Amino acid sequence: MEIMFFRIALIAYFVSTAGFIISLFVGRVKVAKISMWIFSLAFVLHTTYIVMRWIGTAFIPSANIYSSLSFVAWVVSGAYLAFQTKTKTRVLGAFVSPTVLVMLITASAGLMGGASLPPALHGPWVSIHVVFLLTGGALFVLACLTGAMYLLQDNLIKKKKVGGISGLLPSLQDLDRINHICIIWGFPLLTFGIIAGSVWARIVWGTSWHWDPKQICTAVSWVIYAVLIHQRLIIGWKGRKAAFLSIIGFAGFLFASLGVNIFFVTIHNF
Amino acid sequence: MSIVLLGINHRSAPVTIRERLSISCGDEGKTLEELRSIPHVREVMFLATCNRIEVLANMKPAGTAIEELKTFITSRGNLSPEEMTKCLYVYRDEDAIRHLFRVASSLDSMIMGEPQILGQLKDAYRLCVMHKTSGVILNKLLHRAFSVAKRVRTETAIANNAVSVSFAAVKLAKKIFGALDRKKVLLVGAGEMAQLAARHLADNGIDRILFANRTYENAVKLAHDFHGLPIEFDQMESALGDVDIVISSTASPEYVISRGMMEAALCRRKNRLMFLIDLAVPRDIDPGAGDIDTVYLYNIDDLQGVVDDNIQSRLNEARKAEAIIDEEVADFSGWFATLEVVPTIVDLKNKAGDIIREEIVRSHSWMKNLDGEEKENIEILVNAVVNKILHDPVVRLKEESRNGGADSYVAVVKKLFKLE
Repeated sequence: MEIMFFRIALIAYFVSTAGFIISLFVGRVKVAKISMWIFSLAFVLHTTYIVMRWIGTAFIPSANIYSSLSFVAWVVSGAYLAFQTKTKTRVLGAFVSPTVLVMLITASAGLMGGASLPPALHGPWVSIHVVFLLTGGALFVLACLTGAMYLLQDNLIKKKKVGGISGLLPSLQDLDRINHICIIWGFPLLTFGIIAGSVWARIVWGTSWHWDPKQICTAVSWVIYAVLIHQRLIIGWKGRKAAFLSIIGFAGFLFASLGVNIFFVTIHNF
Repeated sequence: MSIVLLGINHRSAPVTIRERLSISCGDEGKTLEELRSIPHVREVMFLATCNRIEVLANMKPAGTAIEELKTFITSRGNLSPEEMTKCLYVYRDEDAIRHLFRVASSLDSMIMGEPQILGQLKDAYRLCVMHKTSGVILNKLLHRAFSVAKRVRTETAIANNAVSVSFAAVKLAKKIFGALDRKKVLLVGAGEMAQLAARHLADNGIDRILFANRTYENAVKLAHDFHGLPIEFDQMESALGDVDIVISSTASPEYVISRGMMEAALCRRKNRLMFLIDLAVPRDIDPGAGDIDTVYLYNIDDLQGVVDDNIQSRLNEARKAEAIIDEEVADFSGWFATLEVVPTIVDLKNKAGDIIREEIVRSHSWMKNLDGEEKENIEILVNAVVNKILHDPVVRLKEESRNGGADSYVAVVKKLFKLE
């Protein structure tokens, strides 16, 4: 029953994605505004689905890769909507909406079955571990997107080519601020998520650190983000360097979350 | 009934001629009344801006009325016959409608896409309404012109991009900083364009403008005009660390702001973004400063390049605008054309009504014997028959006028029914 909400949300995300892309070409603000509203509607439906699922099965909506993706997409949407009210970066929607759509389409492949959790996945520590990491990951997605947009806009302005696409992108300062906020919030989530995971690992497997590929890769991406935060806050990095590192950091995070499972053998398999 | 538009604009006449005309037509209200009093002129509107002087009139299609309007303009402007043929343009009907729509949409302006002309047109219309020199036709035409202008502005990007260096500077600032409130500007020197850019920035919500000048008194004077703050010239270097936007336009033959200064300033600012606008020739700001990561440096050529790109895109948008205008002109012309049959239709119906009334009076002798209800029924019957007979001819007349071929039909109907 709750899957219906998911399906309608998916359709709504699709429509809003189409709308955002059309608005980029047509250049009419009205189209972008309507797409925003449809996107918000999709978000509400998506929230309903997640809440219903949570109430219904009483487990965190991230038991498998599919529901994790759905959850990450949900956080990204929510964060984007929150930013949109503050900074009016409606155009960001043209990047966020397709990303969310792709995540959800992938998620829909596996959301039908009511998954039952393996015993290793029951418990508060695991819930914190997963939710924190996924939320942090979602924020890193946004940071990466805004970083990419920043690099694009910066390049255009420096090269004095400010017609066309540049007009559609948000201002450099707005992009930088969103990037900054995402990293500031994402990094602690990542940190605590890793710690919670280590605590849980000790409970389930005996030791908190296994030199497992996934743990190593996650630690590497943690270091990248730590450097980024340090440079931003202490040294005063802004702009291009920060944007660049956000993208690298996210690439690392993505590899640690998904790539590792493909290329390596890891005990982090459920 | 004919719509006529005649006048001179910045393309057809040099400013020396335009100013002659505008001086002598200075009191626009009086000019309107005088125009209105020309025989055969039913409605008239008068538009005078620094770039055009035009008369828009609705008149009975008499050739003499156009000649009189021409004479009015040429005598007021002291134009010789040669000047008149060279400078004065006369448009009729569809061409007049098209010209008016183009003017309202700023397609005929010196800078395409400029927003002032619509306001000026609205003021001119308001004046003619006040002096009661407009009627059904001009009212509808002007209102339609306003909505066409709005359509062009929203459906094309003709007014979107900056086509002056100062506007371009402001647009760039917004592209870098987003909202401009709480941002600070430093103006070095006192160049004309720099002041204009500062003025535009101030209009867009800039928090505070600092003024630096080798001559402190000049800085004080400018600061007073802009409600800003003057600073001593040797304070400029440290001020760099406090501002977000720097506009420089001094007469100095060397760089006034070096790369080293900028690096120091950025250090103090913790690398917050900075926008440098160098309007001076020779340049005031070391080009190397533009290579710094969070510094965006535009000199006068760069800004002009932005403006040129925008002008090109405006020309592209102008094509879209012309298409919109073609559509609207066809629509309005269609409506206008049906108007010419309206008087004839009204006359026809009036004549029919008169005949009915006469015959009823004439039948009074036998009708008075009927009771009220029967009398009423007979009147209803007679009216219904006449309306039905006239229905097809009337509809046909309207159709033909929409297709533009009503003249002959109108003439025939008038002749057949003796409507003159």
